[in-house]
Amino acid sequence: MKHEIVQKQGATVVIFRGEIDLESSPAARETLLKCFGDTSNVIVDLSDVSYIDSSGVASLVEALQASKKNGSQFSLAAVSEPTRRVLELARLDKVFTLHDSVDAAIQAHA
Amino acid sequence: MANPPSGDDRRNPHVFDRRKSSGSSGHLELLSKMSGHLAVTLNLEETIQKALDLIVKFVKAEGGALFILEEKFNTLICKASAGPVDIRGIRIRSGEGIVGQCVSVDTSRIVRDVQQDPNFDQTVDESTGFQTRSILCAPMTVNGRRLGAIELVNKSSEDGFFSDTDLLMLQTLASAAALAINNAHMAEELVEQERVSRELELATEMQRSLLPQSPDSHFPVSGTNLPAYEMSGDFYDFFELDDDRIYFSLGDVSGKGMDAALLMSKTASLFRCLGKTILEPDQLLATINRELCETAIHGMFVTMVCGILDPRSGEVRLANAGHEPPLVQSRYGTFTELPASAPPLGIMTLQAADDGIREEQFNLNGGTLYIFTDGVTEGSLQDGTRLEQSGFQTIMLERSDLPAAGRIEAVVKLLSDTGRKRHDDITLLAVEDNRPGLPGVGPADESSLVSRYNFPARADALHAVREVVNNACESCGCAREAATDIMIAVGEACQNVVRHAYRDHDEGEASLEIYCKDGILEFRLQDTAQPVDTEKVKPRWPEELGPGGLGLCLIHDIMDSVEYLPLPEGRGNLLRMVKLIKGYDNNET
Repeated sequence: MKHEIVQKQGATVVIFRGEIDLESSPAARETLLKCFGDTSNVIVDLSDVSYIDSSGVASLVEALQASKKNGSQFSLAAVSEPTRRVLELARLDKVFTLHDSVDAAIQAHA
Repeated sequence: MANPPSGDDRRNPHVFDRRKSSGSSGHLELLSKMSGHLAVTLNLEETIQKALDLIVKFVKAEGGALFILEEKFNTLICKASAGPVDIRGIRIRSGEGIVGQCVSVDTSRIVRDVQQDPNFDQTVDESTGFQTRSILCAPMTVNGRRLGAIELVNKSSEDGFFSDTDLLMLQTLASAAALAINNAHMAEELVEQERVSRELELATEMQRSLLPQSPDSHFPVSGTNLPAYEMSGDFYDFFELDDDRIYFSLGDVSGKGMDAALLMSKTASLFRCLGKTILEPDQLLATINRELCETAIHGMFVTMVCGILDPRSGEVRLANAGHEPPLVQSRYGTFTELPASAPPLGIMTLQAADDGIREEQFNLNGGTLYIFTDGVTEGSLQDGTRLEQSGFQTIMLERSDLPAAGRIEAVVKLLSDTGRKRHDDITLLAVEDNRPGLPGVGPADESSLVSRYNFPARADALHAVREVVNNACESCGCAREAATDIMIAVGEACQNVVRHAYRDHDEGEASLEIYCKDGILEFRLQDTAQPVDTEKVKPRWPEELGPGGLGLCLIHDIMDSVEYLPLPEGRGNLLRMVKLIKGYDNNET
């Protein structure tokens, strides 16, 4: 897994690429939680995630809980098909806020 | 109607002492005629009236009346009357008046002058204007049962007095009439019995019609009920929900009579009606309980199990209120009891919460769930011993060649063919996970091996395992969506091995075998770590979220069968996951 953080129109956009599995999920978790220290507007771009397992999902859930705790905005954008499937199976697709694109997420957060 | 032999005259000198032989022949003819009519009559009142008219005329009385005793009211009612005044319908208290006294002491009487008799009751004369001078009265009795009396009034010829012969004539008529009345009573009772028995038959039929039939031999739920008497206090029911899941239930009402049968019908109706909308078995039992408590019948209660089977996955949700523990027979022939979590229904209000009825969730994995009443386990065998749960298990194992419906029929046959009188209803329900294509229990078929891959139990090895799975799915002609799902499930299973199995050691090995045959993909994931407690590795949904629990949920959701196979060496774990890939697109959840 690779990640990149970009600032776009006041939002912190975290872009994950590749596989978020048991090996990489600790890094994903750390990246996400660190964001909430600096900003209160986080969007996770999952368009290029080819695989996510339950440990990766757990990192996202933890980030969601952190955002709720400190009143930050947090949403997932451009969720890739394999990721969407796991979220559906885990019944979490209604728990997260999902947007079709990063731009749509930025607009919604504004 | 032949004349009686002359010997009869001599044997009954009192009857004929004051009459000529031609007269005696007249007596006999009359008596024979009246007795014959009374013996075969279909219209008792009319026949009795005719007989009374004849004897009044023959004895030359001015009038007569026949009284029937209504024991319930201790009253004599006039049912037939002859002479100048019609006194039908008048009532005399038993023991009062001359006729009342005749009945109460069961004795005939000749009263030559009623004015001299202290028992004589004037009221009838006063109300009718008739003047009674003399009375002849004979009671009607059969086997000591008092039925009433016949009385004649005012002899209208000769000396104006009733003779002994008249009395004997009347007594004979009274005996014949008594028999006819008794027969009529018995016939009435018989008709009443017949009516009750017909009603019972209809009720039995009605109750049988409440029990569902399996639509075909492949239907996963089947039941049987054999009442000990006409009506049963047990019931079972099942029906398909709109989403193809099957709701099933079995219950046992305390007691055995008609009251139990009626409460059974009520409970079964509540199940069928409320089950259409309440899709959580624990909530359903709690609701039925509230209904039963509202109209509680003192001292009666219902033990009941209900659940939902998803025939596509083998998943079962079950709740048990006070009923004998159902049994789950795994495909390997091991049995597990599922005890009740709540008291019987109809006693006290419960909440479907922690302190109320709890729901169990499990996967049958090709096994069968049996729910039965105590009539089964406590049922007598031919040698007089009880079947017990152990006997039940033995039959299930011995008859494992049969489908579940056949196995429970075998139990019923064993318990009903004993030649002994049964005292309890036998009711059984089998819920079978009979999904087509569930692989057999035996070792994997080497010829269908697609891939065998050994890997170190480390997080950085998981990517390669997924590659192997992906390639295998592709080579087996799996659709892309199915392959994605399978990769998620197998990935989670491997992740669990890495995370849990070797947590005390740094290094461990695991192996994944992939088999494919007839549209069935089978994965066998083996490690050599400490055996897991299969009770503890149950799927948990996100409310108790941890990656481990969620991973198991994903595996169970995606795979058609997930189970730990026993390992002969007793060391390590072998997890088998099966996915049916034929027609996957249609079955996608």
